[in-house]
Amino acid sequence: MKQLAVRLGQRLLLLVGVSLCTFALLSAAPGNFFDDLKLNPQISPATVSALQAQYGANRPFPERYARWVESIFRGDWGYSLSYHCPVGGLVWQRARNTLLLTAFAVLLAWMLAIPWGIAEALYKGGWVDRTGELILALLLATPDVLFALLLLLLAARTGWFPTGGMSSSDVTQLSFAQRIGDLSRHLFLPVLALALTTLPILARHVRSAMIGVLDAPFLIAARGHGIPKSRLLYRHALPVALNSLISLFGFSVGSLLSISLLVEVILSWPGLGPLVIEAVLARDIYVVVAATMFSAVCLIAGNLLADFLLYCIDPRVRTAQS
Amino acid sequence: MQTKLQPLPAANQAILSVRNLSLHYFQRTVFERRIPVTALTNVSLDLIRGKTLALVGPSGCGKSSLARCLVLLEKPSFGEILYGGRNLLELKSKELKEVRRDIHLIFQDSASALNPGMTIEEVLLEPLEIHEPTLGKKNRFMRLVSACEQAALSSKWLTRRPDELSGGQRQRVAIARSLVARPKILILDEALSALDLSTQSQIANLLLELQREHSLTCLFITHDLRLARMLAHDVVAMKAGRISDSPPPSLLLTPDIHAKPTPVGVVSIAKDTENIRLQEMPSVNE
Repeated sequence: MKQLAVRLGQRLLLLVGVSLCTFALLSAAPGNFFDDLKLNPQISPATVSALQAQYGANRPFPERYARWVESIFRGDWGYSLSYHCPVGGLVWQRARNTLLLTAFAVLLAWMLAIPWGIAEALYKGGWVDRTGELILALLLATPDVLFALLLLLLAARTGWFPTGGMSSSDVTQLSFAQRIGDLSRHLFLPVLALALTTLPILARHVRSAMIGVLDAPFLIAARGHGIPKSRLLYRHALPVALNSLISLFGFSVGSLLSISLLVEVILSWPGLGPLVIEAVLARDIYVVVAATMFSAVCLIAGNLLADFLLYCIDPRVRTAQS
Repeated sequence: MQTKLQPLPAANQAILSVRNLSLHYFQRTVFERRIPVTALTNVSLDLIRGKTLALVGPSGCGKSSLARCLVLLEKPSFGEILYGGRNLLELKSKELKEVRRDIHLIFQDSASALNPGMTIEEVLLEPLEIHEPTLGKKNRFMRLVSACEQAALSSKWLTRRPDELSGGQRQRVAIARSLVARPKILILDEALSALDLSTQSQIANLLLELQREHSLTCLFITHDLRLARMLAHDVVAMKAGRISDSPPPSLLLTPDIHAKPTPVGVVSIAKDTENIRLQEMPSVNE
């Protein structure tokens, strides 16, 4: 319990650091939301100044940061100048969609990577391993944008999948099961694009972790005692290899969230990606900060989840901590 | 057609015979060149039931390769390993199950030979779950307790994991893991080398007792001639992957060795194992 409290405290400090850095960097960047208004001849400089004063844009950095922190406790997370509404509700609405997309992508990527890596490790140096490595190298060398564009082309040419959005126009007339089916069809391409992007890294980690364990003396000793191959793999090798993979799992959650922003923009998924791009271009500072904080929270949550899983799975971690 | 393994031979007869065993493999270098390596050449020896044969020789002479071949962790290039009237190298994987229960190998580094994620109880029960799946839970546990007693393993260690035990305790666990399946042949590959003198003598005495009680046949692989003299009835020397024609000079110089070797390279040691007991010293680890 004490360990958990210490870790949560450390992560909280990390979030404060992330928010300060994001705020400082955005403040240091040239221009702000009101510069575009100044260029508009229909808006007088006095109106722009009044707006700046209203939103506190002309206040010093510490005061703006303190106001933002205060708004977090109200649940607003600042005020969006482009959307004229509190940022919290706006970002959360999009973040839910991003989370849905990322969760399925993480699931698919790991479901492919674990058997892929194990198969390569088991047949190290053989044709299965070489073919697998060649495909992974091709996937790794392909830019994320190209993946998304190719899948978009596939959807557009074949008509098998929708080319954007997360629901059809007639979704309100569909039954619950049909709605799930409709959502699945809309999810398929963005999830596939994200999963294929991370698959090579995950599969290679699984492969190397398994190779390290398969050559371990305790596995050779167990083989010498007549333990069958399947039991050696699932009872001995995989649990030991899982240790390093669980840490990677936490990281993969965070990294997928970053990649998802690009995929969402290209495949028109109504997640955080398009919102963040618009906010960056419009210099809508509080939306950008809130989106960054959301990414940081997801990365930290992923790592905490990995720590928790490691604690549950590896008895040595429990022994060391107790 | 599948034929069953023959029953064990009478005492003082060969239980396992190795005939002209050779092991060659290719070693890959950094630049992917395959270099042929010869680990064993025409190795022949007999393990006599209820006796200990010591296999001595310098590092890299092929002792461990031979041990790995005997438990079928390596597939020899040529030769025969005869056990129960059958050549083990011709058996199918299903037929090998019985052989794997009978022949066990204990490694030098017991720390890395035990799964770090399993408790000692899980480690000890696993061979029974594999080799005797019909045995009830209660009987399995009784066998485990019996093996622990034989290996002088305290029951309070059962819930611990390998990294919570000392080197001597882990080696006892390794021995108990082999004993639980009631093997006929125990191959000890430098199993005592990494232990301190006190633990070495404790484990050596334990092996002598087990051999007396259960007619265990042991192949004791070591480069420690002192231990070889103490534990073994016969000594075979290896050199560069072959059975050496001449035994190590230090063995010949000792008074308890017969001058006339039985087969080529084998030295018989006259001793009464019934009365051997190595002097034990108090251990700092235990």
